[in-house]
Amino acid sequence: MCLCVFALNSFGILPLEPSPGDPTYLQNYGHSGSGMEPPPAAGPPKKSVARINQVGTKSVFTQSGNSREVIPMPFNPTQTTAPQTSTTPQVLSPTIAAPPNVQPRRSSRLFTSASSTAKENSKKLKMKFPTKIPNRKTKTKTGKGGMTPSNLNESIELLKLDSSISEGKGSLGSSQLQAFTLQKAAADGLMSLMRDIGRGYVALCSYNCKEAINILSQLPTHHYNTGWVLNQIGRAHFELAEYTQAERIFSEVRRIESYRVEGMEIYSTTLWHLQKDVALSALSKDLTDMDKNSPEPWCVAGNCFSLQREHDIAIKFFTRAIQVDPGFAYAYTLLGHELVLTEELEKALGCFRNAIRLNKRHYNAWYGLGMIYYKQEKFNLAEIHFKKALSINPQSSVLLCHIGVVQHALKKSDHALETLNKAIGIDPKNPLCKFHRASILFASEKYKAALQELEELKQIVPKESLVYFLIGKVYKKLGQTHLALMNFSWAMDLDPKGANNQIKEAIDKRYLPDDEEPVTPEDYPYYSTDMEESQESSMTDADDTQLHTAESDEVL
Amino acid sequence: MATPAKTPAGADPKQLERTGSVREIGSQAVWSLSSCKPGFGVDQLRDDNLETYWQSDGSQPHLVNIQFRRKTTVKMLCIYADYKSDESYTPSKISVRVGNNFHNLQEIRQLEMVEPSGWIHIPLCDLVKGPIRTFMIQIAVLANHQNGRDTHMRQIKVYTPVDDTSVGKFPRCTTVDFMMYWTMR
Repeated sequence: MCLCVFALNSFGILPLEPSPGDPTYLQNYGHSGSGMEPPPAAGPPKKSVARINQVGTKSVFTQSGNSREVIPMPFNPTQTTAPQTSTTPQVLSPTIAAPPNVQPRRSSRLFTSASSTAKENSKKLKMKFPTKIPNRKTKTKTGKGGMTPSNLNESIELLKLDSSISEGKGSLGSSQLQAFTLQKAAADGLMSLMRDIGRGYVALCSYNCKEAINILSQLPTHHYNTGWVLNQIGRAHFELAEYTQAERIFSEVRRIESYRVEGMEIYSTTLWHLQKDVALSALSKDLTDMDKNSPEPWCVAGNCFSLQREHDIAIKFFTRAIQVDPGFAYAYTLLGHELVLTEELEKALGCFRNAIRLNKRHYNAWYGLGMIYYKQEKFNLAEIHFKKALSINPQSSVLLCHIGVVQHALKKSDHALETLNKAIGIDPKNPLCKFHRASILFASEKYKAALQELEELKQIVPKESLVYFLIGKVYKKLGQTHLALMNFSWAMDLDPKGANNQIKEAIDKRYLPDDEEPVTPEDYPYYSTDMEESQESSMTDADDTQLHTAESDEVL
Repeated sequence: MATPAKTPAGADPKQLERTGSVREIGSQAVWSLSSCKPGFGVDQLRDDNLETYWQSDGSQPHLVNIQFRRKTTVKMLCIYADYKSDESYTPSKISVRVGNNFHNLQEIRQLEMVEPSGWIHIPLCDLVKGPIRTFMIQIAVLANHQNGRDTHMRQIKVYTPVDDTSVGKFPRCTTVDFMMYWTMR
């Protein structure tokens, strides 16, 4: 009889001994084992798993080896001595001191590197009876390696073997049973690996991201350091808005598996959020050179141009991604976002709806719809859509933040504050939640609380001009004009271009009659505005002369 | 009056686009010209190439009409004019008119250029309300340098302010830390 023993080493469940004596564990069915050497008497010591791992960096699911046909080879003595090379299919626990003449199982290739075991199998005895359980379950659960009909045949053969075992036929005896136990243990090992991975994946899909990261981090190292697992972890960080960590993990994925395109669109969005244009353009070039027929490289290219604010070109690339794969929902979402940025709101609505049609749980698309309705000031609809997105992804502080703002726009400020508190509770590192909370407090005239919030925010993000801008507005309302102007000047220093108009207007309002103190304009020549502003009539002529900085430069 | 100072060139509008504060929307409009020489028409005016130009072929004033599908906020126009290469074809007096249609135009800006040598930025801001909102813009070349009859115009760009208020009515934030959380993608 031949029983295949395979390595559970990779699961860390049972230690393995990659021993030269392994062949001695192999035996053809029916042979008396005449040619077999007795196994090392001491029982193979537990050798380290390193020998498998050193080549076994491929994931368990690269089943390239499994596609080979089983070639039952006649037992011959040479085989027992031939494969002294490393990573022979491992025997299970040393407690099985001398299971005589057990053949390596085909599925051993699952747990060792495909390349080495492939060589092994050509030299060594071929398995006749691979485990039925792992193969079948592997087939259903992962489907990645692609089980072939040959495995099915082996499974069937194994069934026969098992039944023969259970019938206790022939000279089976305890060795047979032990081998069967080994099979079972191996299957259990595989099962528990699949279960862990599955649990991690389920957690990620229900957007229970911290849990997912925990579970997946507990996998053994050589499974952890694979493209698929790291990809999922990177995605989990991305969903938590922890973009720096996500970027780190994705770059690790790129290093390990530079041929991988799946999941790269999330990496590109991470880089987009972090505004790392160099990395993003390099990624885009690599991927589009490598593979023009999958949607992910085109999505990356689109993100790259979107970061450069070339929205028309980005739209072209996203449309190309959709052409290449019309079932790729994320491409529609990204296209929708670009269309929003080019103010084509109707088309954007269509794109987001397409994304939802393809994948109802694509919360990004629900978020996109909410954003469009918010822009169109249809706040009720916006709230509904944001809430739908939140129901899919309940731990996103950004979503909660948006809901808070919309509720505030709907005049439900108490709800808004509650929502924002929840958001801050979930993710204290999100500065925007605090900022919006401060602005809502300001709008509800709770100035002290707002100020406190903003002071905390200043500690977290000291270089953000919006913070100073809001502080200035609060002080202005409180009547402390000097502090207000000081903060406005800081805000302008930090961002002379973008916030220019609003800050300038805020400063200009200083000169309107509702302020008590008469402010002498020559104290603040810096705040002169360009000549289009009407308030300049309230400013003295001294300021007018400073306005004629070339207008063309003003807008820069 | 002494020789008037030459009109200084403004910055390349591409840089403006990169700040994200404005967006070029010429592609959303229908462009037409009062006259043009064959091969030197609207395409050459809008091709992002400073070597090609529009050459008019009729009587003054020469007109460039920009018609939008819907009322659009326009913050500024950028015109590229170069006296050194165009000499007497370089426009010297330009009038900008806006309105709903051809019968409804009203001049809002008139500007004189003296030997321009690059991009001229024309902000189109209303006194109180900020950037103008309009269906149609007409750029009229009233006079050329050295009293030339026809005019060359190398490139015209139309900019609208970017409405970046994704959430809340605040101006754009400046740090990446804030920007990261501003929106989701």
